[in-house]
Amino acid sequence: MSRANRLLRYVGARLALAPVMLWLLASLVFLLLRLAPGDPIDALLGTRAPEAARAALRAQLGLDQPLLQQYGHFLVGLLQGDLGTSLTNQQPVRAVIGQTLPASLELGVVALLLAAAVGLAVGFSGIARAESRWDLGARLYGIGTYALPSFWLAMMAQLVFAVWLGWLPVGGRFPPTLLPPSGTGFYLLDSLGDGLLHGQWQNLLGSLRHLLLPAGTLAVLLSGIFANALRLNLRRAMDSDYVEAARSRGLSERRLILRHALPNALLPVLTITGITVASLIGGALLIEVTFSWPGVAARLQEAIAQRDYPLVQGIVVVVAALVVMVTVAVDVLLAWLDPRLEF
Amino acid sequence: MGRLAGRGQRSAQALAGAAVALLVLPFLGACQPRRDPARLIVASRNRIDTVDPAGAYTVGAMQLLSAIGDPLYAIGTDGRIEPRLATGLPRISADGLRIQVSLRRGVRFHDGTPFNAAAMVFTLERFLAIGKLSYLIGDRVVSVRATGSHSIELRLRRPFGAVSQLLSAINLTPLSPTAYRNHARRQLSDRFIGTGPYRLSFFTPQQQRLEPFAGYWGRPPANRGLDLVALSNSTALFGALQSGEVDGLLSTSLELDHQAALAQQARRGLLRQATGPALEIGYLTLLTDQPPLNDVRLRRALALSLDRRRLVERVSQGLNLPLRGLVPPVLPAGTPEPWPAYNPQQARRLYRQAGYCAGRQLPLELTFRSNIPSDRLFALTWQALLQRDLGDCVTLAVQGMESTTAYRQLGDGAFQLIVLDWMGDFPDADNYLMPVLGCDKASGNRCLQGASAASGSFWTRPGLEAELRRSASLSGAPRLALLRRIQRQTAAASPYLPLWQVQPRIWVRADLDQPRFDGSGRVLLQELRRP
Repeated sequence: MSRANRLLRYVGARLALAPVMLWLLASLVFLLLRLAPGDPIDALLGTRAPEAARAALRAQLGLDQPLLQQYGHFLVGLLQGDLGTSLTNQQPVRAVIGQTLPASLELGVVALLLAAAVGLAVGFSGIARAESRWDLGARLYGIGTYALPSFWLAMMAQLVFAVWLGWLPVGGRFPPTLLPPSGTGFYLLDSLGDGLLHGQWQNLLGSLRHLLLPAGTLAVLLSGIFANALRLNLRRAMDSDYVEAARSRGLSERRLILRHALPNALLPVLTITGITVASLIGGALLIEVTFSWPGVAARLQEAIAQRDYPLVQGIVVVVAALVVMVTVAVDVLLAWLDPRLEF
Repeated sequence: MGRLAGRGQRSAQALAGAAVALLVLPFLGACQPRRDPARLIVASRNRIDTVDPAGAYTVGAMQLLSAIGDPLYAIGTDGRIEPRLATGLPRISADGLRIQVSLRRGVRFHDGTPFNAAAMVFTLERFLAIGKLSYLIGDRVVSVRATGSHSIELRLRRPFGAVSQLLSAINLTPLSPTAYRNHARRQLSDRFIGTGPYRLSFFTPQQQRLEPFAGYWGRPPANRGLDLVALSNSTALFGALQSGEVDGLLSTSLELDHQAALAQQARRGLLRQATGPALEIGYLTLLTDQPPLNDVRLRRALALSLDRRRLVERVSQGLNLPLRGLVPPVLPAGTPEPWPAYNPQQARRLYRQAGYCAGRQLPLELTFRSNIPSDRLFALTWQALLQRDLGDCVTLAVQGMESTTAYRQLGDGAFQLIVLDWMGDFPDADNYLMPVLGCDKASGNRCLQGASAASGSFWTRPGLEAELRRSASLSGAPRLALLRRIQRQTAAASPYLPLWQVQPRIWVRADLDQPRFDGSGRVLLQELRRP
């Protein structure tokens, strides 16, 4: 069987397993939520509502049905693409996810791009002179940013750039004095569209101002991973026999790095990128909470506190599906780039 | 490696370039969107999931509804009932079971639909059918009907003396029957068509835009509109007011450290601060149907062991006020406060009478809600104070539990002592006593079913339920006298220990006029103004 066919078979198997994995995950979340202490009725009505009112609301929300029946409804809905209705505001779960997921994805993508740019630059500069001040600096940067508590860095950034200097807003996703752009839910793209089509550049500026602090903070936190990964792998590649052999053939250092060492060093970085993207799909909770970023992680946290069963289940299923898709895509990309990989 | 070194230098230059890019930040800072000074931004921690009065139940949602809707009655800044969409106080039939309310004419909803009796009946019936807090009126109102184009009649299950206060609940604000035609029996979470001074022009859970309603029947708002924004943490809110990003800040869920710092700034004239009536109370629930707290001497001893003044000072830096009654003192029947003041000598005598102190300590476990910082502070402070003052008689172990988990277990009698809080849905004593003392089924002093059991105390006494019901049907001085007696007798048994009362606060920038609260504890947003 050719490599291409083996790859196709591998991807097919991964995709075929995805629904089983999602079903298992959804069932587990369904069960764990019901096993967890707490009651959505308490979260909605508090402790003082009369028992009759509590029973009426329980019936209204369908929580009085047997567990198996609730599970059946949930699964049937899931198969039909219906994730149910939020208990707290009666909005379709799909709509809530549609409002919050783009916010998390936008933050994650921008942060990842910034992190990759900064991290790779730092990592690359580190190998220029082994054990030099630059190398030490790059290593310290990698370890330091990786070890920094995200909430601390976020609050410090907020304090310095928003409160003391007043350059950027303390939180939120868009200036309250403007109306958010309509469209895809990705404000940056929508605002860019408004700018290009209608000349309304203030929306883009507003989006950027609000995005810069959370995305920058998240980027700093992530960049250390990139810096360390590139530095280590590039150093290993530069010390390898094939690079030594190439050097002995008289190749320039520039060509050695760019043509021979870097492509090999970037493969593990790509794997790390895939894992990071997958983890960012579910949102960066501490960053979202600190910067009041209305993303899916912050919403999930609230939904758990409110015991909003349908919303928690819906978010987990959608995020899990996206994570599966991203990991499969990264696997395929790696297989395409690295001929040594076997399936 | 020479070329590599050169590459390293270029990378360094790139990094330096990135650092220079930081200079873009001030540029971005300078490019803030221009703000209309007459439009104001008010921030809070109140994320609002729904603006439908049938589904809204949070403090933030009530504050928003009070700006975009009108109740039939309002509690004025002096605590008196004021007709708003009603033209006068309700007329009560001789048997107390029929309430007539005349409605204001010439009022229009935000969509132009005229406000009349049919609209009010539509609203009340909708609330009874789908309202999350429908028990507010469902327990008391049998039916509602229009008796004229601008008058309605409510038929009650039993006489209720505080009907005006009940009708001041903002959840009962009228809704346009035209706009809600398709939502008569389901919620409309992200839009609101009412009669209030503002119309809601944009809604997300994090942000609401309010525009003055040109056709408002009353005094128009003093500002050109409001943006209410929710930030998810206290530090961000504090910073937003400091940096001038927002004009006002509501105290709900703001951490006490930040509140204390803002109050300090207000005292120095850097900000303006307003406080509302203290309608939120903090209290301890005692498990009275199991040893050791089934012994009334120990419950009374605990009541005497609470140094409220010191606790309030330590926990809230003096922002909260000590409380020795279940009914807030700002309400009629809230004074005098019947629970005893701190008296460690008397407490020690009671512990001794119960067989403790002489080499034997009473072990107690106090549960606090771990997601509420002031509860934790209270638990730790009281633990230390007890250890210092009565350490030979009583020891307190403290444990935290997430609030939703704790609420679920209250009715199971899981907590010997637990810190809780409460704010009535409308300002009346009935709303503070019935939810903790009500009991549908009892055996002696033990409540088997009802509010007292659900709240984790299980305490009642023969005749208490009848007295509570009778107090609801009375009005004026006889009602006050009965409510005070109920409180005194409850204090003697001490199934609950009131701790503190919380005043709502707002801080605004110093260039704004002094803000005010109404008698329901809500900021009069329409009065906020930058002169």
